[in-house]
Amino acid sequence: MAAPLPFSESELRLLQVLLKRKVRFMVVGLSAATLQGAPVVTQDVDLWFENLGEQKISRALQEVGAAYVPPGNFNPPMLAGAGAELFDIVIRMDGLGAFADEIKNCVEIPLGRQKLKVLSLERILASKIAANRPKDKLTIPVLRDALAATQTVKRRSKKK
Amino acid sequence: MKRRVQPIDAAKASRWAQRLSTRVGKILAAHPDADRDNVRHTLILLEQPPLERLQRSLIRGRATAIFRK
Repeated sequence: MAAPLPFSESELRLLQVLLKRKVRFMVVGLSAATLQGAPVVTQDVDLWFENLGEQKISRALQEVGAAYVPPGNFNPPMLAGAGAELFDIVIRMDGLGAFADEIKNCVEIPLGRQKLKVLSLERILASKIAANRPKDKLTIPVLRDALAATQTVKRRSKKK
Repeated sequence: MKRRVQPIDAAKASRWAQRLSTRVGKILAAHPDADRDNVRHTLILLEQPPLERLQRSLIRGRATAIFRK
């Protein structure tokens, strides 16, 4: 089976191995927002892991020829190797609770036979408002409007 | 070159645009501060599968980064 858009075979394999090994992670940031319909652009897919020290993660990455690179002098923590370039690691989400609490606010996006956990648009907006960096300020109004539109669509489809 | 427009497709497209416009209007009535374009683009994206939305976003995001260089 060909890899579904927008992932390459190796990127898809990386996600699938993480899911198969039951690593607790979720997609966050603008890539998560765009998966839910927000008209924003992004260059990468941010992944928030509950515990980066977990052995399950290193084993999963090894299985696909990738590795976790801990933060260095000028580098943030990152994934390297096959299929890892698209993904960025997030270690802190401004304005949000603990991972265990926020995972309850996820929506699930089908990825082949598995499901990818994606932080809800509402919580992404909350994190952008809290972070309030210049680049966040540009996206806040768009996310707010997208949330209004998606909530209206959801309410309508529930009524039907 | 003149584009050939299929009458059936044009009528269908026109009905879709009308429906979209109505839906945008209803959302703006409930959220008067919302930007019309943001709402319209969101509704259009909601018609696409999630992974396709991400694909579009990544293509545009990377193109923007290339132009900035």
